[in-house]
Amino acid sequence: MAEEVLRVENISKKFGGVTALNNVSMAVARGETCCLVGENGSGKSTMIKIISGVYTPDTGDIYINGHHYKKLTPIESIREGIQVIYQDFSLFPNLTVAENISINQQLANGKQLIRWKEINRIAEEGLARINVSLPLDAIVETLTTADRQLIAIVKAMLANARIIIMDEPTTALTQKEITSLFKIIDDLKNRGISTLFVSHKLNEVAEIADRTIIFRNGMKVMEQDAKGLDVKTMEYYMTGRKIDKEAISFSKVDAVSISLLRVENLNLKNCYFNINFDLKPGEVLGITGLLGSGRTELALSLFGLMLAESGKILVRGKEVKIHSPKDACDQGIAYVPEDRIREGLFLDQSINDNMVVSIIDRMAGRFGFLKEKQKRAEGKKWIQRLEIKTPSGVLAAKSLSGGNQQRVVLAKWMASNPKILILNGPTVGVDVGSKADIHNLIRSLANQGLGILLISDDIPELIQTCHRILLMRNGRIAKEFKREDITESQLYIELIGASANNGRA
Amino acid sequence: MHYKILKTNEFIVFLILVGLSIVVGAVNPAFFSLATLFDTLRGSIVYFIMAFGLLPLMIAGGIDISFVAIAAVSSYATHMFLIGRGYQGGVLPYFLIACTIGVSMGLLNGLLVTRFNLPIFDVSLAAYTMWYGFNLFFIGATANFDLPRGTIGYYARFLFTVKDPFAGTTGLHVSIIYVIGIGLLMWWFLKYTTIGRGVYAIGGNREVAIRSGFPVSRVLLIIFGIMGLMSAIAGVTMAFLSRNFNPVIFINQPLDVLAAIILGGASITGGRGTVVGTSLGVLLIQVINRALILTGIPVEWQRLVVGLILILFTSIPALREQRAKHTSHTTEIAQTDQP
Amino acid sequence: MEPKPAKTPILVRDLQSIQPAIAKIDRQTILLLGVFVVLTVFFGITRDTFLTGRSITSMAFQLPEIGVLALAMMIPILTGGINLSVNAISNLGAVLAGFFLVKLLPSNMVAAQPAPYVALAFLIVLFIGLVTGVINGLLIGYIGVPPILATLATMTFYTGISTGLTGGKTVTNFPDQVGYIGAKSLMGIPIPFIIFVLITLLTYLILFQTSFGFKTRMIGSNPTASTFSGIDNRLVIMKVYIISGIYAAITGILVMSRTMSAAIEYGSTTYVLLTILICVLANIVPGFGNVLNMFIAILILQVISTGFHMVLLGVRGSSFFKDFSWGVLMILIFIVNYFLRGKKSQE
Repeated sequence: MAEEVLRVENISKKFGGVTALNNVSMAVARGETCCLVGENGSGKSTMIKIISGVYTPDTGDIYINGHHYKKLTPIESIREGIQVIYQDFSLFPNLTVAENISINQQLANGKQLIRWKEINRIAEEGLARINVSLPLDAIVETLTTADRQLIAIVKAMLANARIIIMDEPTTALTQKEITSLFKIIDDLKNRGISTLFVSHKLNEVAEIADRTIIFRNGMKVMEQDAKGLDVKTMEYYMTGRKIDKEAISFSKVDAVSISLLRVENLNLKNCYFNINFDLKPGEVLGITGLLGSGRTELALSLFGLMLAESGKILVRGKEVKIHSPKDACDQGIAYVPEDRIREGLFLDQSINDNMVVSIIDRMAGRFGFLKEKQKRAEGKKWIQRLEIKTPSGVLAAKSLSGGNQQRVVLAKWMASNPKILILNGPTVGVDVGSKADIHNLIRSLANQGLGILLISDDIPELIQTCHRILLMRNGRIAKEFKREDITESQLYIELIGASANNGRA
Repeated sequence: MHYKILKTNEFIVFLILVGLSIVVGAVNPAFFSLATLFDTLRGSIVYFIMAFGLLPLMIAGGIDISFVAIAAVSSYATHMFLIGRGYQGGVLPYFLIACTIGVSMGLLNGLLVTRFNLPIFDVSLAAYTMWYGFNLFFIGATANFDLPRGTIGYYARFLFTVKDPFAGTTGLHVSIIYVIGIGLLMWWFLKYTTIGRGVYAIGGNREVAIRSGFPVSRVLLIIFGIMGLMSAIAGVTMAFLSRNFNPVIFINQPLDVLAAIILGGASITGGRGTVVGTSLGVLLIQVINRALILTGIPVEWQRLVVGLILILFTSIPALREQRAKHTSHTTEIAQTDQP
Repeated sequence: MEPKPAKTPILVRDLQSIQPAIAKIDRQTILLLGVFVVLTVFFGITRDTFLTGRSITSMAFQLPEIGVLALAMMIPILTGGINLSVNAISNLGAVLAGFFLVKLLPSNMVAAQPAPYVALAFLIVLFIGLVTGVINGLLIGYIGVPPILATLATMTFYTGISTGLTGGKTVTNFPDQVGYIGAKSLMGIPIPFIIFVLITLLTYLILFQTSFGFKTRMIGSNPTASTFSGIDNRLVIMKVYIISGIYAAITGILVMSRTMSAAIEYGSTTYVLLTILICVLANIVPGFGNVLNMFIAILILQVISTGFHMVLLGVRGSSFFKDFSWGVLMILIFIVNYFLRGKKSQE
C-alpha cells in the first residue's frame, strides 16, 4: 500500500445557504494519478480550493504528508508540496518565461534580491526536466495555451510538488498536445509525484487515471480503481441516471424547401477552411470536433463575432453579411454560448431582465419606451414555458441552479423568435433533468421548423438529437454522418481517431 | 537579440524625441546650444523625480493624481515650520523633514487602498482635494519668498557653468545628481528586487500575484511610500529652484507627469513601464513645450497640447490591443496545421 | 462564481441579497433620508438662519448645478465607466457661449435684441455638450481607451481649450437676459431647481423606462454578455457619453446664468470629486443605480455645503477648509461603505 500524500476526512463547506461539500473524505497516494470527476456544481472546485488553502472547510480534517490541519493557508499548502495549476495557469502575461517559472521559488525562499543568472538557470533546469525547450525571454502572453500550460507544470515541479492538481487541463489543448501532456503526467508518476486530475471528460479520465473519484451534488459517490470503470458507469454515477437511448421521435427535415442556412466556401485563416454545409428547416445539425478543430470559431463567424475572410453565408437563399451579433439577430440567427456565466447571463440582474435582453428593442414602443410590466409579462411567459424553477422573475439570475440558468439563456433567444439557433455546448454543467428537457426542447423547436446547429462534445447528446453530424478536424469538415449510420462508440472513435492519424484530416 | 531593442516602445519614443529635437533645432539653432540643454534639463528635474516616484504605481495598474498635493504640502509645511523657528541654515533639514512628511502622506493613501480595498484613483482624487485644502487653510495661502540664508544660493549651484546669451550664465544644476541617483535606484529597484518585480506582477495579474505568494499589500504600501518620498523631494527642489515656497505648487501638473509616463511606454492598464522610457517621456514633454514656445504658441495653450498628446497616446495602444484580440484566437489553432 | 449543487433551496433571508435593487425605494434610500434629516436638523439648530425661506431658496438656486453635474457622472458609471471631464465640458460650454456673446458679436447688435442671441448662445453650449460627448464616446466606445484615462485626457484637452481662449481671465459683461434662468423663480420655485427636477425625472425615464437605459445597465453588468446578446455596446456607450456631455453643458448654462460670468477652473477638480461623492453616497455601481437615491444624495450634499458655509462664515479661507473637508468626507464615506457592504472588493 503506497503511502498517502494527502487525506481529507469529513470535509463540509457551505456558501451562504448553499452546500458545496457534504461530509466528503478522500485520499491520494504517492505517485498516483487520481482523477476527480464530476459535473459543474458537484463540488470538485471547492475541494481543490480547500486542499490548496484558498477556502477553509467548515468541518473536517486535512492530512498532508502526515501533518494534520484544521485550517490551511495557501503558503502552508504550497510548503507541503501541493501545487495547483488553475485554468489560467497562474502566469503573469507581461513577464518572461524564465521569470514566470522561477518567481515562486524566489518568493518561497524569501529572497529580496533578484539574480537574473539564477532565474534563467532555474528556468532552464525546469524545462529540461520535462524535455521541453522554450525561449527564456519570451513574454508569456505571446505563447500558445499549450506552452503556457507547460510552464505551469514546470513551475509546479520546481516547487517540489508532491501533488500537482490540474483543473480541467485539457480544455484548451489539441489532441496532440493532450497526448504530450499525458506522457508528462506518466513521467511525473515515475518521479513519485502524484497528480490530481480534475475533469469532466470521461474518455480522458478512462485513459489516464489510476484511480477515479466521482463527485455529485457535493458528495463523493464513488471511488475505485480506474481499471474497472468504463465511461458508461462513470456517467451513471456522475449524473445519477442511466443514459438510455429512449424511443425518441425525430422531427421531419424539410429537405425540399430552401435551406435556412447555407455556408459556401467559408474561410478564416488559421481557424477554418473551405467550410460548406446546408441547414434545412426542421433539421438538427451537429458539429463536433476536438479543440483546435475550428468549430467554435465557425459558430462565432456565423454570429458576427469573428469575421470570415472569404466565402458566402446565405440565409434562406439570400447572401448576407454578418458583421456583428446584431446583424445575426436581424437575420434570425441566435447563439447560445459555451460559457453561460461570462457570455450568456447578467448574474446580478433579474431573471426577467435576462430574458428580454435580445428583444428589448422590439419590445419598446415609440421613443424606446418600455414598461416594467411588459418585462414581467414576457418573463412570466418564458418561466412557465421552459419550466424554470424560481419563485419570482425579479430575483437575480445568480439565484438559479446551472440548469435553470441555461434555460434562461435559451429563453432569451427563443424570445427573439429565431429561424436558426446555434447552440454551443448547451448542456455542459447542467443537471440531468434539465439536460433531458433541453434535448426535448431542441427536438420540439426543430419540429416547429427551426434549423438548429448543435456544437457539442457530448457523443450521446449528438446521437440523440441530431439528424446529421459534421466532424471537424484542423479547421476542415472531415466527415459527415447521418444519425442512422453511426453508433455512439463509432462516433467516439472517429472523434479521437485523429491522434492515430497524426492530426491529418 | 539586439534587434529586439528596435521594436520596443522606448526606442520609438527615442526616435520621436530625436526627430522633434532636430526639427526644433532647425527652426531655432540656439536650441542646440549647451545653454538650452542645461536649461531644458533644469526645467525637467522635478518632473523626472515625480515621474520616477509615480512610475511603480502605474506599473502596478493604478492612476494617482495626489502626488502633486503631497509635494506641495510636504515642502510648504516644512518651510513654514522652519521659518517660523527662525531657521537660517542649509537645505538638508528641508529634505529630511519634507521627506518624512511625504512618505507618511503616501503611506496614508496606501493604507486606505490596502486596508479598505478602495480604488486607487478615487482615493487620490480625495487626497488631492483634501491636501491642497489643508495646505491653504491650515498652513498658509500665500507664496513665501522668505528663504533661509543658507539656501538662497541653491538655485544657482551648478555643476558646470556656461554662458547663456540671455541670462548671463547658466549651468547644469547640481540637483541633476539627484535625478540620476534616483533614476538609477528606481531602475535597480524595478529590475533587481523581488518587491520591484512584484510591482510588475501585480500589474500583470493581481490575483495570480496573490496566489503566488507576493505580499501584495506590502508591495503597494512600499510604492505608495516611494511616491510620497519622491514627491516631497520634488516639491522642495522646485521651491529652491524657483526661490519661493508655494502652497499650490504643481496643482495643474499631475497630468503632465502622467502623460510623460504614458508617452514613455508604460501600459495604460499596468504591467509595463521602464525608467528609461519614463525619462524619455519627460524629455519629450519638455521638448514639446519648447517647440510650442518657439512656434509662438503662448503658454495658455500648452494645456491643450498636453491633452491632445494624452488623447493620442492612449488611443494608439488601445487600437493596437483591439487588433491583437482578433488574432489571439488564431495563434493556438495555427499550431495544428503543422505536419 | 461559487459552484452550486443541482438543488438549491432559496432561503428567505437570501432573497435580500439576490433581489436586484430596481425597486424605487431600497435600503440605501432609507439610509440617505435618515442622513438628510439628521443633517438638516443639526444645521437648523446650530444656525438659526439655516432653515429660513431665504436660505432654502438660495440652496434651491445653487443645488441644481452640482445636481445636474452629478447626474452627468451617474450615467457613465452605470456602464462601468466614468466621466472625469464633466466639469471641463461645463466650463468650456460657458466659455464658448461667453466668447460668442461678448467677443464675437458686435456689442450693439446684442444690446439691441439680446434675447435671440442669448438663446443661440445657450444652444451653442448644448452643442458643445454634444460634440465633447461624441469625442468621449469615440475614445471609450469605439477606440477602447479605458474611461479613466480617456476622460482625464479629454478633461485636459477641453480645459486646455478654455484656458487658451480665456488666457485665464474670466469672461464677463453678459447681457442681462443670460441671468434670467439663473435668478428668476416660477411660482416661488427657482427656475434652476425646476430644471433640475425635470432633468432628474428625465434621467429616471431614460434609465428605467426605455430600451436604451436598459441596455446601458446591462452593459455595466456584463459587457461580454451584452455583446453576445446582440447589443451594440459601442453605440450605446457613445450615446451615454453624449447624454453625459449634454448634462454637463446644461450645468454650464446654469452656472453661467447664476454667476453672469464664465471662467475656467470653476470648481475644477473639487466639483468632479463632489459628483463622485454623490454617486458613492447613492450607491451607484455598474449596472445598478437608483435615481431617487441620487436626488437625496444631492440634497444632502447641498445641505452640507450650505451648512459648512454658514458655520465658516467670516473665517478666512473657508473655501480651502471646505475642500479639505470634502476630501476627508469622501474618504470617510468610502470607509463606511466598505463596512456596510460587507467588504466587497472594488476592482
